[in-house]
Amino acid sequence: MPISSLCEQPESLEVVSVAIGHWAVATAPARIRTLLGSCVGVVLYDRVAHVGGLAHIVLPAARGAVDHPGKYADTAIPALITDLERRLGTKVRPRLIAKLAGGASMFQVNPQANSALHIGQRNQEAIEQLLAELRIPILARDLGGTAGRRLTLDTASGIVTIKVPGGADYEI
Amino acid sequence: MAAILTDAQRHLLRMIFDRGAEGASLALSKWLGAEVHLTVSDLELVELDRAGELLGPPDALVAAGAMGLTGPLTGSILLVFEDRSGLALVDLLLHQPLGTTTAWGELEQSAARETTNIVGCAYVNALAAHLPGLGRGSELGELVPTPPAFLHEFAGSLLEFALMEQALELDQVLVIRSEFTGGQPGLNLNWTLLFIPSRAALETLRALLAPFESRGNP
Repeated sequence: MPISSLCEQPESLEVVSVAIGHWAVATAPARIRTLLGSCVGVVLYDRVAHVGGLAHIVLPAARGAVDHPGKYADTAIPALITDLERRLGTKVRPRLIAKLAGGASMFQVNPQANSALHIGQRNQEAIEQLLAELRIPILARDLGGTAGRRLTLDTASGIVTIKVPGGADYEI
Repeated sequence: MAAILTDAQRHLLRMIFDRGAEGASLALSKWLGAEVHLTVSDLELVELDRAGELLGPPDALVAAGAMGLTGPLTGSILLVFEDRSGLALVDLLLHQPLGTTTAWGELEQSAARETTNIVGCAYVNALAAHLPGLGRGSELGELVPTPPAFLHEFAGSLLEFALMEQALELDQVLVIRSEFTGGQPGLNLNWTLLFIPSRAALETLRALLAPFESRGNP
């Protein structure tokens, strides 16, 4: 079973939830949603077809691991593009735009876990480099900070809405 | 990467945490002035992609006291309160009717931090007492908790932060969960204590528990 099918819902459902280390694709009027902490959410959106996808990325590089492609930036983003192209039956990469959110550092309760503390920044750098190589423009970023985020992509408009705990929704 | 603990090692670890729960129950009951019991409900291996649901709906707002562990066993201890039942903690401490406190102000956050400190230290003491090599003056060094921090977060985001260190190399994460029950009528303690060891701590636990596997009792 492809990993993406674990989190992809029938389109009759309004909201598709994406678990950590997975990705999903949906067509308007569906929305795609995920909860982010240190991980980075990568939204790819086709403004012509009103189809979008979201990958919830945990780590920058798979380094040969093949079991969980949605966990790593260098395997999740190509897989997400493949799923978008499969959905539309055509090459969409030149039409895609990207939006990024997440990569926070919530709390430093374990000073010895430095690798985990800086993973958000490393993820961001790897994702931005990969998108640059794929010539996919990044139209918005909402990265870093110390709070978690709820990210929602509206596939009808391409608008990404962010909510932080105790705060009002805002769009990127 | 080797498997996370064997079944026998997990069983032994659970026995140690049961003792930690006994100590924490006594300390917490004294602190709150009301009878409260902690029980270890799960010592579970969770697939990373399901971990965000450990505390219920991932987008539910929760309050939490978070402590880190330094020394030979690193990791995190989280005392997580469902928003409303967490505020009951303050009512208990201030001897006021349940439902009086309605928001997480500075006093309420301080109460959550101190309660986390009391419960977390009871578990840390149990680990130090029953796992050889973790006590004061041991070769591995002393197990020392950090001061607790208060967090008001989405449940899914909180778990993602806490589990990230394990997720760097593992596709399953080990979580030890304790639940609370109160003896006072009308007191709904929807609180959860999570102990989340780091990858290095899993290796250390494996080594420390290995000599006891054949005996079955640390």
